[in-house]
Amino acid sequence: MGDKVAEPERRRRWWWIGALVVLLLAVVAAVILSRNTSSPGATQKIASAPFQPGAPGEDDGQWTMPAKDYASTRYSALNQINVSNVGALRPEFTFSTGVNKGHEAAPIVVGGTMYIVTPFPNQVFALDLTRPGAPLKWSYSPKPKSAAQGVACCDVVNRGAVYSDGKIIIATLDGAVIGLNAETGSEAWRTQLGDINRGETITMAPLVVKGKVLVGNSGGEMGVRGWLTALDAGSGSVAWRAYNTGPDKDVLIGADFKPFYAMDRGTDLGVKTWPPEAWRTGGATVWGWISYDPELNLIYYGTGNPGPWNAEQRPGDNKWSSGIFARDPDTGQARWFYQISPHDLHDYDAINENVLLDLPIGGKVRKVLVRPERNGYVYVIDRASGQVLSADPFVYVNSSQGVDLRTGRLKPNKDKEPQVGKVVREICPSANGAKDWNPSAWSPRTRLLYLPHVNMCMDWQSAEVNYIAGTPYVGAEVRMYGGAGGNRGVFTAWDPVKRTKAWEIKEDLPLWSGALATGGDLVFYGTMEGWFKAVDASNGRVLWQFKTSSGIIGQPISYRGPDGRQYIAILSGVGGWAGAVVSGNLDPRDPTAALGMANATQDLKQKTTTGGTLYVFALPVHR
Amino acid sequence: MSLRCPSTGKALLALAAVAALAGGCDRERRDLGASMPEGGPQIQTTDLTPGRGGVLPPDPRGQLYEKSAYHVSEGSRLFRWYNCSGCHANGGGGMGPALIDDEWRYGSSIEQIYGTILEGRPNGMPSFRGKATEQQIWQLAAYVRSLGGETPQASSSRREAMRSTPPRNQVTPPKPKGEGAPAVQGTAR
Amino acid sequence: MKQAASGLIALLLLCGCSGVQTPLDPAGDQAASIHTMWNVMLVVCSFFYALVIGGLLWAVVRRRREPVPEPQASAHDPGIERTLAVWTGLILAGLTLLISWSFFVDRSLAQTHDDQALHITVTGYQWWWRVEYQDGPVNQWFETANEIHLPAGRTARIKLESGDVIHSFWAPNLAGKMDLIPGRHNVLDITPRRIGVYRSQCAEFCGMQHAHMALPITVESPEAFKVWRAHQLQAAKAPTSQQEAFGKAVFETKACAFCHKIDGADAGGRTAPNLTHLASRPSLAADAIPYSRGALAGWISDPQGMKPGTKMPNVPLTSAESSAVVAYLDSLK
Repeated sequence: MGDKVAEPERRRRWWWIGALVVLLLAVVAAVILSRNTSSPGATQKIASAPFQPGAPGEDDGQWTMPAKDYASTRYSALNQINVSNVGALRPEFTFSTGVNKGHEAAPIVVGGTMYIVTPFPNQVFALDLTRPGAPLKWSYSPKPKSAAQGVACCDVVNRGAVYSDGKIIIATLDGAVIGLNAETGSEAWRTQLGDINRGETITMAPLVVKGKVLVGNSGGEMGVRGWLTALDAGSGSVAWRAYNTGPDKDVLIGADFKPFYAMDRGTDLGVKTWPPEAWRTGGATVWGWISYDPELNLIYYGTGNPGPWNAEQRPGDNKWSSGIFARDPDTGQARWFYQISPHDLHDYDAINENVLLDLPIGGKVRKVLVRPERNGYVYVIDRASGQVLSADPFVYVNSSQGVDLRTGRLKPNKDKEPQVGKVVREICPSANGAKDWNPSAWSPRTRLLYLPHVNMCMDWQSAEVNYIAGTPYVGAEVRMYGGAGGNRGVFTAWDPVKRTKAWEIKEDLPLWSGALATGGDLVFYGTMEGWFKAVDASNGRVLWQFKTSSGIIGQPISYRGPDGRQYIAILSGVGGWAGAVVSGNLDPRDPTAALGMANATQDLKQKTTTGGTLYVFALPVHR
Repeated sequence: MSLRCPSTGKALLALAAVAALAGGCDRERRDLGASMPEGGPQIQTTDLTPGRGGVLPPDPRGQLYEKSAYHVSEGSRLFRWYNCSGCHANGGGGMGPALIDDEWRYGSSIEQIYGTILEGRPNGMPSFRGKATEQQIWQLAAYVRSLGGETPQASSSRREAMRSTPPRNQVTPPKPKGEGAPAVQGTAR
Repeated sequence: MKQAASGLIALLLLCGCSGVQTPLDPAGDQAASIHTMWNVMLVVCSFFYALVIGGLLWAVVRRRREPVPEPQASAHDPGIERTLAVWTGLILAGLTLLISWSFFVDRSLAQTHDDQALHITVTGYQWWWRVEYQDGPVNQWFETANEIHLPAGRTARIKLESGDVIHSFWAPNLAGKMDLIPGRHNVLDITPRRIGVYRSQCAEFCGMQHAHMALPITVESPEAFKVWRAHQLQAAKAPTSQQEAFGKAVFETKACAFCHKIDGADAGGRTAPNLTHLASRPSLAADAIPYSRGALAGWISDPQGMKPGTKMPNVPLTSAESSAVVAYLDSLK
């Protein structure tokens, strides 16, 4: 047999094989290379499509709204500062706001300018980031009424400005919403929405959706009637207002309203679930966070506690308090509502952040809204229909016994029901909730939600209270203290799919600052003593910390400066409800002061003092 | 032995003693109606007056209300009814400043406190003029004074002695804190 | 003289036999069972009383009639032993009857088994009563003060609470006493049978005006009760004249709105009586004064004079303001 092919034949075969291999490699290389190409002009995008349902997309390096994006992820994809180099992080510049009250705001960065709003008197500062030391570009003083300080329940805070279409929009403590020219700081329009003589103030950061400024009122402890108002962002005129108590026509409930659960269905429930006329002073304010889903065209926000705290004066489910509304942003018409705490007994406002994510649940990817709630459960809710997919406790809870997923109803614990004239002890979580307004952050890389929250319980005694407009309408004496373990604060990394804690960091003082997650696999938060910390997002190891001049209750942000470097910014200045003992110079010998918080923060005056400073950190420049 | 009638003198003495004792039975007079002369006190919020003199004498009504346990007790009732406790809690403060400490923004004399309640103050204290009656404002001012420990101990009602934060002049001095003193009071587990 | 005195005393005693505030004229089931027990006790005790007095009189008379020699003491006297045995037996029987009757009456009063009961909560304050009707859905609940209306024939389950000190609810024609204790809920069932107006009163000393803390209870036919209830659910009548409108404005801007509530006006107080239908009530100030426009004017101008120590202050009003407020409140039927 011929065992060898002729020489030239063999050589020709090898040539064919070689060419085939080269061709194959070229195809593979082309495929790989084509994936990595970024479209030109991405870095110049200003706030385009800022909705990222948990997917790591492009990050323009700005921070145009306190929640970073409409999904409220508070995630910055910037990764210049990462786990390996964060130890070198140092302050780049600071700025003193001149106000010594609680600083809860998130700084806003648009292009080369940073905008911060101070607590009362709500001064707005624009800092020029293109020049070293970020000097002041302009400042604006809205001159709100001083008397507004007397009707603000929980320090005279402000949670931030928002940028939209060349305007910086803020709300003031005495209930005005103001649109400023972002370049010059001149007032473009000013609309008065709240009345301090009825106890109304505004502390929230507005949100701009499709050219409408969304803002709600505060005053659930003052017997106000809660509402969400939409103003035209160009002119400041009122487009629509949805109340959160009262007849359907005021609550903007119409034919589109399809709540998932039977307990939320019916006509005029905003009247029928209250004793006669009680809904007029029923609270259900909107002072927290709003998210927006552009695909479903729905905004999501929560309503505050019903008024008064003494639940015996308002029997019934007290709709539409302590729940989540989904509304059409163009008309305000409600699409669905879920009441998280019907006939709320413990001041569990439902105004926390609504993180919009697409999560794999039960085998398929579902569009959900994740809500770490005051009453101690992390809710995962289908954001199209309002169905609760899971509600799991992230702290020790005894004020309720879980959520019945069939009816959607919270199961109250009768033993922890407050009564007039009796003290009910060891109710967990306390009135400020397992987690209050201070927002969590989501990392699409670790798939974890980072919750800065508290571990606190309380004693409660209800009392009868007169409604006197402009004075508190509470009717309860409360005394709070740390829960089991002794630590009053906790920083938890929560897995919403596995529905468990991944890790946690215990803190001595309650955590009242927001969280920030970055693409460098870092998570940032601040303590009430003033430590600003960077933590490894995957395991919770503290990698860096810096002691600022006062306790931190603000929201950290990250941005790319005009020089291309990544910066981390935070406002330091203790206060808010948790820091009231310091910012209000209260006397902690009275445990019921500051609605019970004084007892839990008796040592705070020894650990921090008042302040008001912006800190901006960056890595040192390599020469 | 048989009984002897006591002498007339002794009998009269005994009668007089009983009458004197009975007269002392009234702890205090309660002026329930508006029988006190109306018209508020002259109030001076600041200690600074230009030129010589100018310091106002204390209003006699202030003493009347401060020393009366009934009025201080009524003040504590009104403190709750008019939602003062909503902002000032049980004296520790909240939306409003603390009243059990010794820092008084607008003055600590009863006339100055009266003025604060009547007029309100620019940084958030509401004005109760025309809402609370003058007698009620005096009672509230007397109660606020008692919160700060400025009234005599005798005029505090038993209710005050049972509170967890008695006025300053009734608090026994705190023992020096040892290592084991808990930072937070309450049923921490 | 003695006969006249005893006759007068007898007449006075008979006054208790009927009236608006007497346990001897029961108008409801609970009072009827108490009344029956009272009668049983009266009969049993009277029987023994008669025996004892009779024995005493017989001994006195017998002693007086003739001198009797000292009886010889003997170890056994079957006559005395028999008498004692009979006497002890009678006492035991009488006591057993009283104890068991009392036990069963108490039990029946404490039993609450009517699910169709009308739910009312009465809260006692110094020195007035808050009455809340809590039947049906919560937006059909309403509140009034210092008066109760009950439908005849239907059990009313009254929850008793106190807002400050211990009071006691006592409607003698309808039921027994039940205390209102702060921090505690007590329940009293009343099943009225006879139509009429009865007076109930606070029966536990509660302060200076304890004596002026009464409560008229109107028992009416179920139809009349429905009408009254529907009327109470309505908000207060809007002012129809300028003076009434001014009076409403004075009410809302002066001290009145701090403590009082009027559904339909800007007044949300809770620590004083609800005045939404003030003019429809038979009396003022917890039945201290019968209602009339003049009485109302007098009350508003000087509550401390009419009921010294009451929590309502003498509010300084000009005469125009005062007459306007009276006009407005008088229109709140």
